[in-house]
Amino acid sequence: MPGFDVQQFRQQFAFFQQQPNWVYLDNAATMHKPHAVLDAVTAFYQQHNSNVHRGAHQLSQQATVLFEQARSNIAGYLNAAHPHEVIFTSGATAALNQIAFGLMHTLLKPGDRILLTQLEHHANIVPWQLHCQRFGVIIDVVPLTADHGIDLVAYKKLLALGPKAVSFSHISNVLGHIQPVAQMVALAKAAGAVTVIDGAQGIVYQQPDMQQLDCDFYVFSGHKLYGPTGIGVLYGKTLWLDRLTPIFAGGEMIDTVSFVNTTFNKLPFRLEAGTPNIAGAIGLSAAISWLQKYNTNQVQQHKSLLLKEFYNGLAAIKAIDILSMPVHNAGIVALNVRGEHPSDVAELLNQQQVAVRSGQHCAMPLFSYLAQQGAVRCSFAAYNTLDDVNRCLLALEQAVEILTA
Amino acid sequence: MTLEQLLAETQPALLQIKQQDLADITAAKDWQSKYRVLMQLGKKLPPVPEKMKQPHLLVKGCESRAWLMHYHDKAQDKHFFVLDSEARIVKGLMAIMLCLVNGMTSAELAKFDLCHKFDQLNLKPYLSQSRGNGLTAMAERIKACCPAK
Ligand SMILES: Cc1ncc(COP(=O)(O)O)c(C=O)c1O
Repeated sequence: MPGFDVQQFRQQFAFFQQQPNWVYLDNAATMHKPHAVLDAVTAFYQQHNSNVHRGAHQLSQQATVLFEQARSNIAGYLNAAHPHEVIFTSGATAALNQIAFGLMHTLLKPGDRILLTQLEHHANIVPWQLHCQRFGVIIDVVPLTADHGIDLVAYKKLLALGPKAVSFSHISNVLGHIQPVAQMVALAKAAGAVTVIDGAQGIVYQQPDMQQLDCDFYVFSGHKLYGPTGIGVLYGKTLWLDRLTPIFAGGEMIDTVSFVNTTFNKLPFRLEAGTPNIAGAIGLSAAISWLQKYNTNQVQQHKSLLLKEFYNGLAAIKAIDILSMPVHNAGIVALNVRGEHPSDVAELLNQQQVAVRSGQHCAMPLFSYLAQQGAVRCSFAAYNTLDDVNRCLLALEQAVEILTA
Repeated sequence: MTLEQLLAETQPALLQIKQQDLADITAAKDWQSKYRVLMQLGKKLPPVPEKMKQPHLLVKGCESRAWLMHYHDKAQDKHFFVLDSEARIVKGLMAIMLCLVNGMTSAELAKFDLCHKFDQLNLKPYLSQSRGNGLTAMAERIKACCPAK
């Protein structure tokens, strides 16, 4: 197989032709979309637009077929046991809200415990907190090790307290560290806990195999995987999806309705109230089909090379503090210029058309743990080039020079 | 340190910014020189002691934290301000904002069009809603200092 050709890959993104001067290193926030995705979305609206599952006409039936094909395609990618184990949501946040809310009514009772980690995104903290407070469920938090990884010793101790559910991210959106999810799932299962993985960043790094990983839930957003915004996936094992109380109620998710009682439809519809994001689902499915044309190992090698060059370059710039470790890193580097506020650094990069994010990245508990006021985050994607890396390094040097003048 | 002392140290700095540095910013030939000046501005203002940075003085909507203190000399009907921020560029931009309104009467402050002024200084992009730098929030906070009629 020929090697990964980054130029060929990059050419498929109209964005870079439109914005040739920008170095885009904010991929952990959202990624650009290849033609394959844009075309699929446009084609749906131009040729097949109709509502799904409800029209008496053939057009609606065609749209339904396309929508359900998207579900099957995504389920196949995840190696889910059944297509109905893929629930379409508006994104990872919506999926996590559904899980936290849904389990609160069925699995979790007052006095029960759940387990999160110190480095979670707010989307994997606040929904739990909101419902736990109301239901009297206790949240425990796994601390980090000195190199900012999950402290597995502490994790085991906290599992011994018997949490009913454990929820953690596959990859930290701030540090880029890849968590030992397989091990963490196995330990949690041995302790009898339901396992939830926030795969918002993990899904870009690798194709997760649900049956092998054996987690009960895995969630992600389409827009961080070359897909459209407003679409995401809540994967769950049938057994557990069946036990979720729907967070949204409305059309499509019901079986019979009277003002005395309502009975619910079967999966996946029970958890998809209202008209779904049909074009979004088709776009995400197109993104996944497109991505499968590339060899994951080669893509990862390319990203590792970018990361290596970036770390090498950073070592040569004075006064840079790096929060992310280079090993087991999926392509995200959080850093600070010593003594400077991250927003100043990011603004000076912005002036040089290098797009990064600064702040606490929706992970305030992590930053209070690290005792940092925030960080500049450079996140790399497969379409980034060595030229991008070098331009970012030069821009950082320039920023340091201006800041320390 | 008291608010009076802070005000006494801040006022000449704001005056100097208004009389000298504003011209340098507008005249800056490239972004580097503009930012070099911007970052010097913040340094001219005396830092607000940690003890005085009370939560109610925080300007919401900033990625970096910023504090605004206000003093209304009722006898002369004049408004004076003190500011601090964790971020240097934001502090510089906020200092520019303050130097424009400092010492205004209530009527002047109510009438003042900060957006227009920032536009003239080529600084308008910093006031846009989409930026998390808190400049817009600061502008609203300053306006809110006008006593209700
Ligand atoms: C780890 C992690 N979890 C959850 C989310 C939330 O994703 P979304 O905003 O697309 O719902 C993000 C996005 O920043 C993330 O990085």
